[in-house]
Order: sequence, then C-alpha cells, then structure tokens
Amino acid sequence: MKNTHHALKKSEQKLAFLLLLPSFIVLFTIAFYPLGSVFTKSFTNERFASSKKTEFVGLENYQKLLSLKIMELDPIGMDEQGSIIYEDPIDILPRKPNRYKEVSQFSIFNKHFVFSATDPDFIQSIGDTLLFTILSVSLETIFGMIIALIMVKNFPGRGGMRVAMLVPWAIPTAVSSKMWEWMFSSTRVGVVNVVSQWFGITNGQFPWLTNADTQIWAMIAIDVWKTTPFMALLIMAGLQTIPKGIYEAAKIDGCNGWQNFWKMTLPMVKDTITVALVFRTLDALRVFDLFQIVFAQKRYSMASYSYYQLIDNKLMGYSSATSVIIFFIILLFIIIYTKMSGGVNNE
Amino acid sequence: MLNIKKLTICLVIMLSFITTNVFASGQEEATMMEEDSKTITVAAGAVGTEFELAQDAAAAYMEMHPDVTVEILQTPDLTTDRLGLYLQFFESQSSEVDLYQIDVIWPGDIAEHLIDLNEYGAKEYTDAHFPSIIQNNTVDNRFVAMPWFTDAGLLYYRTDLLEKYGYNEPPTTWDELEMMAEKVMQGERAAGNQDFWGFVFQGNSYEGLTCDALEWVYSYDGGSIVEPDGTISINNPNAIEALEKAAGWVGTIAPDGVTGFAEEDARNMFQAGNALFMRNWPYAYSLGNSEGSAVKDKFGVSPLPSGKNNIRAASLGGWQLACSKYSKNPELAADVLFFFTSYEQQKKRAIEASYNPTIIDLYEDSEVLEATPFFGTLKDVFTSSVARPSTVTAPQYAQVSKVFYENVHDVLTNESTAERAVKNIELDISDIIE
Repeated sequence: MKNTHHALKKSEQKLAFLLLLPSFIVLFTIAFYPLGSVFTKSFTNERFASSKKTEFVGLENYQKLLSLKIMELDPIGMDEQGSIIYEDPIDILPRKPNRYKEVSQFSIFNKHFVFSATDPDFIQSIGDTLLFTILSVSLETIFGMIIALIMVKNFPGRGGMRVAMLVPWAIPTAVSSKMWEWMFSSTRVGVVNVVSQWFGITNGQFPWLTNADTQIWAMIAIDVWKTTPFMALLIMAGLQTIPKGIYEAAKIDGCNGWQNFWKMTLPMVKDTITVALVFRTLDALRVFDLFQIVFAQKRYSMASYSYYQLIDNKLMGYSSATSVIIFFIILLFIIIYTKMSGGVNNE
Repeated sequence: MLNIKKLTICLVIMLSFITTNVFASGQEEATMMEEDSKTITVAAGAVGTEFELAQDAAAAYMEMHPDVTVEILQTPDLTTDRLGLYLQFFESQSSEVDLYQIDVIWPGDIAEHLIDLNEYGAKEYTDAHFPSIIQNNTVDNRFVAMPWFTDAGLLYYRTDLLEKYGYNEPPTTWDELEMMAEKVMQGERAAGNQDFWGFVFQGNSYEGLTCDALEWVYSYDGGSIVEPDGTISINNPNAIEALEKAAGWVGTIAPDGVTGFAEEDARNMFQAGNALFMRNWPYAYSLGNSEGSAVKDKFGVSPLPSGKNNIRAASLGGWQLACSKYSKNPELAADVLFFFTSYEQQKKRAIEASYNPTIIDLYEDSEVLEATPFFGTLKDVFTSSVARPSTVTAPQYAQVSKVFYENVHDVLTNESTAERAVKNIELDISDIIE
C-alpha cells in the first residue's frame, strides 16, 4: 500500500516536472540568459557596436563605480566675512589609477571633510533614486489612503470624481513628464514660477529643473501627482472588502472615527497596502522615463545612468556593471519586503 | 504512465513545429533579401518636412533609375534615440539599412561602420562643400559622410529696437552687445515691459551649452576645447575670460532662468518680443517671420560677435548622409547618396523648406536668395564655423562634451569660478581620452 502510494507520488512529481518544463525553458531564455550575459559582460571592457577587441578586466568596472573616499580638508585662510576657506579638493584628491572627484563637503567637530568618489554621477544616482523612492512612495501611500477613504464613502458625483482622480494615472509618462517640464520652466512661462512669484518665494526666474537643490523635489512632485491615483485605487479595492457590519458594531460600542481607523480599517487593509508598497517601491527604484525625459544628462536615476553609459558612451561592459549593482540593490529591497510580509502572514 | 508518454510526444511535436517554423522563416528572409538587392533603404529624420523632402528625392531618383527602389525609413526625432537605434543596426551588422542620416558629431564615433566614400568617387563632389564640414567628416583619412544640410550659431537682433535707441548696426563685439543690451533693456523696462531682457541663449546643462560656450571661448581666442591634434587647450586665460564674461550676463542682461534654457525657450522669448538679442540656429528665422509672431519683419541675423582679435565663431551643426559598411550594394547606395546630396537636391530643399545647403555656391544662387534672402548673411557665418571636438575625441565625445557643459553650467550658476572650471575640464578630459 505504502509502495504504490510512493510510486504514485513519484509519477505525479514527474508529470509536474514535465508540465513545468516549458515554463522553465521560457523563463531561462527570457530571464536567466540575459541576466547571465549582463553579469559576464560586466567583467569586460566591451564596447557597444564596435569592433574593438573585448578584454576581460576583472573587477575594474566595479572598482571605478564604487570607490569612495573621505578626506579631511585643511583650512588655508579666511574670507572677508570671517568664514574659513578650505583647500580645493581637486588639489588633494588622489588621481591614480582613477581620479577621485568631489561629491559633497561636510563638517563634523570643527573639522571639514570632502566626500569623493571615482564615479560621482553613479554614487549620486544611487542616492537620488533611493531618496526619490522612499519619499515618493511614502507620500503616495499617505495621499492614496486619504483619497481612498474619501472615495469609498457615498456622496453625490462619486462616479465622476473617481474618473477625474484616475486621469493623471492614465496619461502616458512621456506626455506628463513633458507637461510638467513646461510647468517647471525657468521663466514666467512656467506656472510654478508664476505662482511662486505671487507668494514672493522666487523672482519668477527660478530654474527649478537645473538647480541641484530643487531637482529631486520636482521629480517627487511629478511622480506623486502621477502615481497617487494608482495607490488610491489599490487601497480602495482593499477598503471595499471590509464588511460594513463591523463599523455598525463599533458604533454601538461607542468607538470614534479615529479609533475605527487605527483599530479596524488600517489592520484590515494592511495586506493590500503591503502588496501596493512592494509594487510601487520596485517600480520607483527602476524609474527611467521620468528622469530621462526631464533631465536627460543633467541628473540621473540608476536606470537612466545605465542607459547613458550604454548609448551615449557606448560602454557596454561598464553599463552592464551598473545594471548588476542596480539588480543587487533591488534584490535587497525584495528580501526586506519578503521578510516583512512573511512577518505579517505569521501574525 | 501512458499520459506522460502522450504528453512527451505532444511536447516533442510542438517543439519541432516551433523550430521548423523558425528555420523556415529564416530561409524566407534570406531569399527575400536576395530578391530585394536592388532596394536601397535610407534612414532619415522626420522633423518638420524632412520626411516628405526625402521621399520626394527618392521618387526623383527612382524616376531616373526604374530598376531601383529607394525606401525611406523614419527614425526618432530625439538625437540620442536615433543614435541608439543606429547602434543596434550596427551591432547586429544589419544590411537592412544602406544609408544613414547622421549628426555632425557622430562621424568619429561610428566611422568603423561606414564605407570610405572616396573609394566610390566622392572626390569630385567634396570641393564644392564647406571645408570645415568635410574635415569634420574625415576620420583617419577616410571620408565617411557627405554633408547634406548644415546649421550654425547666429545672432538674432531686433532691427526696430536698435534703430529706436540709435544704433545702426548689430554688435560686432561681445562688449558692444552688453552695452546695447543694457541700454535697450533699461529703456524698455521703463516703458513698462517688465519681462524684457537684453540677451537670451542656451544656458541649460546639455549639448546646446557646449555649442554656445564653444563660440564664446573660440571668439576670445581660447581654442576649441580639444584641438584637432589632440591637445587639450581649454585651460588658458582667454577661455577663463570668455567664461567669466558669459557668467556676468546671467541676471544682468540675460534672465536668471537662462541657465535652464534650450533652443525653444530662447526662441519663445525672442518671438514674443521680450528679448533684444538671441543666439540660436537658423531654424528660428522662418518661425520668427511666421504669422502671429510678435517680431515678424522686425529682426535680422548676423554672425555672432567677437571677443578678441576680431574672431567670430559659429558652432557647426547639421546632418550628413553616410553609407553602411554592411550594405549589400554599396556602389548603388553611394550613387543614391551622391544624388541626395547633389546641388539640385540641396537647392530644392533650400527653396522649399529653407534647409541650409552645404554647397557654398548655393548661397549665391539667385533662386535660393529670392526664396530665403537671409541666406546671403549665412555664407560668412558658415565659413567661420567651428566644429565641436567630436572627431578628435571619438568615441568619447559624449563624455567630453558632458564634462565641458556641466562645468560651464556651474560657472553660469555661480557654483564654481571660471578658473576652477577650466582646470576641472582639463583634468577630466585627460582622464577620458588619455
């Protein structure tokens, strides 16, 4: 009896394997083969569309991408206002084998330091993309939640409001990016400058998209505008699964709206929110179109930097190495989320 | 058990079906190629009327050679996207496209995928074109691309306003330009136009700034960043002086926002009547004279002012036609190329759509001048045009240019001094081209 059971199990396994085989083949050709090829290319100096001989260069690409250095700057004098002038980082940062370039300067305990990297653009693109991801996804979740809570209520004109809410999400990113580029225009052609001049914040001539301090905030604003509807839609779907009865029961028990939200609504849409968060985080980490269209070569997301190295500089090997690093950063986020959502399910 | 066998057979049949299908279609493609060997495909731009003009040229060629088919392939409008597409064709050594329309900064980068046109008799045509473009398109003594139409930086000025404030001529030096701009700006602002500015140009951090800044530096006798012999020349006092001059315009005669301007931002402002001077490409001329433009018939063009020693510079732009090395029929393709870039065809394009010819004599052709009178002024501009250092720094020009415009942008926005910027540019470029 046990034997036949065993044999049956075995043959079923075989069948399962055979049934899965086509999917594995497809998965292998479309996922693992390109990934593996990017991985191997990242150890070479291959050029895109070139007959130049490709050589194995070991970890050179990674070394150039990821070398960081912090050095102390010595004071060399004072200016008229009495603030200390420090030596120019260009003069003290090492130049061989790869030149270190300044990313930023900072002071701790009365000492002044320069933070430098051999590829400051890439380091900055990682920082920018992480900041962009964390802030835009958080804001989208909060605004999405608020909108969803309003939209599930019954009020006159709700259908129309739902359609209006979805408009930003329905516009292709290429179009909305261009639209926002005009709105952020550096003269009073752009509405952002007109409005900020009304309030006396700028003189109507502020270059929002070229000023290093405002660039990322402009990106976040565009993304929040565009993707909040998506968040709201997902959360709304979660809210609609909550049975109305429990709210009536809570009303009888004398709960106020605030308690309702924290003790019932939020825990019951938690899983939906987790799914939405995973989705949006991974999406935001590989953001490409928004940065490419609005900034081109001015500032990069990780993905648009990789594109720049491949297409503009034709450095296939180097670009592959950036892709591999991006892959591991995203993988890290996936692992964190998987651990966290595993915790949710076990509760 | 039987089920599994059946399934395996099923799978095998399916797989073999798929593979034979692939093979079959591969063969089909091959035979198709052979039959179509008399077809020449031209990858051309589709900005404005470009596509129709190219199709007209193709039709004219086919009329003369009924056994040949010339097809025009539309390519993306954005320059980098177009390069990306071409690189994919080259990477796979595809014979699908025979002729490519290429930007003036690409010959160095993609020369190895192009045939040497001199081997196909280009010599007899090249003398008629502007020498700076011919030199730009010659890589390691191989002439890889024939000039098709060209572009160069120009100074646009408001004739009515200069007259109103007592000037008869456009400025010939940058100092004169500054002076005139200040005076007219004060007057116009006092008269009530608070949005009026003296000078607009391309100050955003992108390739356009490389063109503008190269003009400043070159006109101050500061060289062309990297000289044709490979010397990195940017770190010199004249270049520093030029960049300091330009930085002084931002917020005085030019709006602060100019550091976010590309071509169209400058044109919109000038065309709305809110600027006295503008640096732009020739395309802005016909648009400025179109219906609804506030400056219609109120502006003229001249070469850009000089900084030192009467040197005037205009950055060279424009497009060429090149023939792919992977073409199945390079001889025929070269013939089509010579036809497309011929005197008659360039003349037609100049008259119908004011594309700037690369053949010098066309700027004195009476029919051309009748259709577009301002071409007369342009001859001098194109003769003094200066090429960006794209051929000498190939294939790293994109990186070199980025280093240059980013550092110049830092000077314009006051984040860095001109002195520090040129030092930085020199070090970075020497890292890149070694």
